[in-house]
Amino acid sequence: MSITALSFVVFIFALLAIYYLLPKKFQWVVLLVASICFYIYGGFTTIIYVLISAACVFAATHLLQNQANKTKAFIKEHKAELTREEKKAVKQKSKQRRRLILTLAILFNLAFLGVFKYSHFFIDQFNAVLSIFHLAPVDNTFSLIVPLGISYYTLMAIGYMADVYWGKAQAQKNFLKVLLFISFFPQITQGPISEYNQLSGELFKEHQFTYDNFSRGFQRMLWGFFKKMVIADALAPYVTWITTYYDKFTGITCIVGALFYMFQLYADFSGYMDIMCGYCEMLDIRLAENFNRPYFSKSLSELWRRWHITLGAWLRTYVYYPIAMSKWNQTLSQKCKKPLGEYASGKIAATIPLLFVWFVIGFWHDASWAYILWGFGNAFVIILSEWLSPVYGRMKTALKIRENALPYRAFQCIRTFGIFTFLEIVAAVQVLGGNGYQYVWRAFTNHTLPRTLEELFPSVEGLGGQFLLMLLLAFFGLGLMFVFSLVQRKKPVRDYFNKIPLFLRIVIMVVTVLIIVSSGVQASWGAGAFMYANF
Amino acid sequence: MDELLEILKKIKPGVDFEHETGLVEKRILDSMSIIRLVSALNNAFDIEIQVTDLVPENFESAASIMALVERLEDE
Repeated sequence: MSITALSFVVFIFALLAIYYLLPKKFQWVVLLVASICFYIYGGFTTIIYVLISAACVFAATHLLQNQANKTKAFIKEHKAELTREEKKAVKQKSKQRRRLILTLAILFNLAFLGVFKYSHFFIDQFNAVLSIFHLAPVDNTFSLIVPLGISYYTLMAIGYMADVYWGKAQAQKNFLKVLLFISFFPQITQGPISEYNQLSGELFKEHQFTYDNFSRGFQRMLWGFFKKMVIADALAPYVTWITTYYDKFTGITCIVGALFYMFQLYADFSGYMDIMCGYCEMLDIRLAENFNRPYFSKSLSELWRRWHITLGAWLRTYVYYPIAMSKWNQTLSQKCKKPLGEYASGKIAATIPLLFVWFVIGFWHDASWAYILWGFGNAFVIILSEWLSPVYGRMKTALKIRENALPYRAFQCIRTFGIFTFLEIVAAVQVLGGNGYQYVWRAFTNHTLPRTLEELFPSVEGLGGQFLLMLLLAFFGLGLMFVFSLVQRKKPVRDYFNKIPLFLRIVIMVVTVLIIVSSGVQASWGAGAFMYANF
Repeated sequence: MDELLEILKKIKPGVDFEHETGLVEKRILDSMSIIRLVSALNNAFDIEIQVTDLVPENFESAASIMALVERLEDE
């Protein structure tokens, strides 16, 4: 079910009515039924995989909890008889058992993800090896129906199991509640990747209808639809046109294409988040935030703390820290201490897990070498800036640069945005079948200046004059997005909006709805699908 | 405490660790520097900091880091 389709809007408002009309204790059941309906609408078979995944998570968390409880009870019962070492040994044995359960359950979930998302990639690599030995390739033309949101719910499932293993969360005793946590429809296609303790607290409590939640949630949802349908979808055909046939256009058009791609990506992804976070606010459910004005970041690592926030947080908690804290990583750091010194060995201990995290991020985004390289490109910039930070410090002192001066901060933001754009556009063009490096090369070496507006913004084939009109609307939207981003620094834009007289607010919202609806024609251009849903 | 302050200053020079109480919140210590700090603390105090100990509350100030070290030394 496309969330920009009219059927989706009808679905969520019908759900909203049922949700508040039924007794409060059934609210989570209503959400579960709605989530299952959402899945079934997208294909009946995929719900089976979600059920299997939820069953695995339910069983694993129960085994983990039982094992932990048994150990605790045993130590409590034999407190007087056991020595400190014996207690330690009992705890260690229990930990080993729990680690085995957790490892098996994680592998089971990853196997599903591997089969559905990565089998073509792995077979391609295998065939490449076979071709070296002049052997016949394995058939790789089969198609698999990828379960909706598998990239997202697998991470949430692993996170929940790890939390129970660490004792941060209690195992949920009701299987249906686990199923809801895994399959909650507003976050299934593009996140956020929620932690169990945070989301379960929201999902399973009783919710009271309030005008404030309803109006503020609706306003945010409307802004999300505007970002998606008026900005992102209007830029989409232009971006596809330029990134596919870049060798026909001037360097400046390629630069404009890359910038538009970045605005489209942000408007598309954050627009989805606004729609879903706004809708959940109407349900009195707070979803974790995924964006915090990322294009105003002063470094790439800061950008990644403000872009797809929940993915970064997930990777930090469940991948980066466990690897960095592992015995082998600490031992490696120790071994490097003597030959390389304390500073370098400490840096190595922090860097190796980061490389692995970026490999995971790249591979998670897309099963392709383009995105694996994209991940390592990000890692390279972040690690280099971390390692060279003392040199930067000395340079800033020598050049008498004031960190807080506005021109310097502006320079940092533009530099970061430029690096991010380079990494993103290269990967995007590669995935489209082009050569991303040639694209960038053309952008900076083809100095032919466009003589007409048509040369700068070449009309997309088949769209005619309608295209320029949509582009103008998108420019207006981009301007709004920029102003809102500046305003948001202090407090949410809605706080200011709600101070406007009610009549004027209604007029603005009605006009916005009309603009969004009239932009709906873009669906016929092949736009409409969300970019991050492909990940 | 002096030993801890030495370690902290080596990891992030130029920070007033004696008085700073928002090391994680202000991103003075990011995830990479926390890993370097953990490695240094494990060696210096012969403790074993666990993944579950890596929560912002434990690293917000020199005092909270010292409290974590003392708790782990007692275990």
